Amino acid sequence: MPSSDRSGLPSLPWRLSAVWYRHFRVYTRDLVSNGLPPFLEPLIFLAGIGLGLGRYISEMGGMSYLTFLATGLPMTAAMYTAAFECTYSTFVRLEFDHVYDGMMAAPITARDLLVGEILWAGTKGFFFSFAVVTVMALVGVLPLPGSLLSPLIGFFTGVMFAAMSLVVTSFVTSINQFSFYLTGALSPMFFFSGVVFPIEELPGVLRRLAEVFPLTHSVRLARALDFLTVTPALPWDLLFIGAFTAAMGWLAIWRLQRRLVQ
Amino acid sequence: MIAGGAVIVARNVHKSFGAVKAVNGVSFSVPEGSSFGLLGPNGAGKTTLMRMVYGVSRRDREPPSEIRVFGHDPERDELAIKFVAGVVPQENNLDEELNVTQNLQVFARFYHLTGRRAAERIDALLAFTELADKRAVRIRHLSGGMKRRLVIARALLNNPRLLILDEPTTGLDPQVRHLIWEKLRALKRQGLTILLTTHYMEEAFQICDTVFIMNRGERVVEGNPQALVRREIEPYVLEIYTREAFERVRDHLPAPGTRIEESGGVVRVYSSDDAGLLRAGERLGPGDYHLRPSNLEDLFLKATGSTLNALQ
Repeated sequence: MPSSDRSGLPSLPWRLSAVWYRHFRVYTRDLVSNGLPPFLEPLIFLAGIGLGLGRYISEMGGMSYLTFLATGLPMTAAMYTAAFECTYSTFVRLEFDHVYDGMMAAPITARDLLVGEILWAGTKGFFFSFAVVTVMALVGVLPLPGSLLSPLIGFFTGVMFAAMSLVVTSFVTSINQFSFYLTGALSPMFFFSGVVFPIEELPGVLRRLAEVFPLTHSVRLARALDFLTVTPALPWDLLFIGAFTAAMGWLAIWRLQRRLVQ
Repeated sequence: MIAGGAVIVARNVHKSFGAVKAVNGVSFSVPEGSSFGLLGPNGAGKTTLMRMVYGVSRRDREPPSEIRVFGHDPERDELAIKFVAGVVPQENNLDEELNVTQNLQVFARFYHLTGRRAAERIDALLAFTELADKRAVRIRHLSGGMKRRLVIARALLNNPRLLILDEPTTGLDPQVRHLIWEKLRALKRQGLTILLTTHYMEEAFQICDTVFIMNRGERVVEGNPQALVRREIEPYVLEIYTREAFERVRDHLPAPGTRIEESGGVVRVYSSDDAGLLRAGERLGPGDYHLRPSNLEDLFLKATGSTLNALQ
């Protein structure tokens, strides 16, 4: 793949990688405080569930409750990290630190910057789900080897929630407004997307609503991969994630471009 | 490159933000190797105009206008322009989490500069901006002047042919300001074309071949700073700090060709008769007046009826 054309201008993949690299360098500057918590969180969860709730509920969705949770949690980790990255962090870069002003002086377009942003959030989705998978696999509650592949779904989950969160960010005028998104959209998804109990148990309306929650499709896809099974919902999940990500990504770029290039 | 060796050509540029006209029918051209200064109070449209040059602000569709930078339209070929233009934005916007070298490394990648080539270029630029002993220092531990020099180094990473600076020395102490001016003059000698905005008349005098003074989105006056002051304004000015003191010497001012401006409580008497102005001034107490050569600021005052800083 050529990385620049004849005039020396960096190619599109190179430009995206340069945006990604900036975020990577800033994130890895503080490896302990940025890299450790993703591994600690699942441990705390395990302790809480294993010692507490797990004693009352032994089985869920045809598997042990710990396994049920352990196959869903990597996706919520990916969701939350991508959502935080593309709401609070993006807003700070846009409005407070003026990081984007500096980057926009470099030979990249606003679209390059935003796509790079989404790819970075996808990378964090991969890393955070990888951390959960690692911990859960080590304590032996995950089916192997299928589960080792689920961070890949974590990547696409990160990309999807990054795109969606950027759309939210494009409407936000004050950083405090993100709370509505977190409690109004992400918290319901955590509970009604088949992470803590199967959505099949939900009453009619909620059951159908859960079907349009993006996280539902990530979780179902991840579980299918964990157990290396082909489920009837698989094409629908893939289609949903692809179409939803494309639509949100397009909308986010269309709206935020006008904030970056006035 | 276009005919006449102009690096930037702007013609009839308009820019509105809602009902606010930020730039109102501005035209200018910047010859290769020259330095061009946009001057004017805050809100005059300098920054907006500058951002349009490198494609991060879009001009109005109507009326028809044109901007060409190295022959490229910034709205269509922003990458080609940004690749050969270094930008020093008004805000430093460095990555606070990273150190000096890392900031440059991250940015070098945007220009396809990596590994050894990047390291060599970064070394050279840190030496040029006198930051070599700060290479491992985190941004938050740098002084304002060091941050500014680092942003200038960042803008120079890709050996630009055009350097765009938005208020390069605002808020810096005089020593740093002079150091930055020295660096900019050195770059100019190497043939770099410079476009800058500034509030400082002295900065324009030190660096610019051409100044373009703006007010409320429009051109007020344009030309070589020395020539403008020589041609457009009386060479001396007697500043009198109170209205009352002015009244005392009013009848003793040199008679012909004297022009009087009052703004911000200060009365300024312009004339080519410096001896006459001095005689009038000496009738007042030493703290009441100041006789000095006139400068660009006086020119701006004459052209707009307000001082450069009055609108800030």
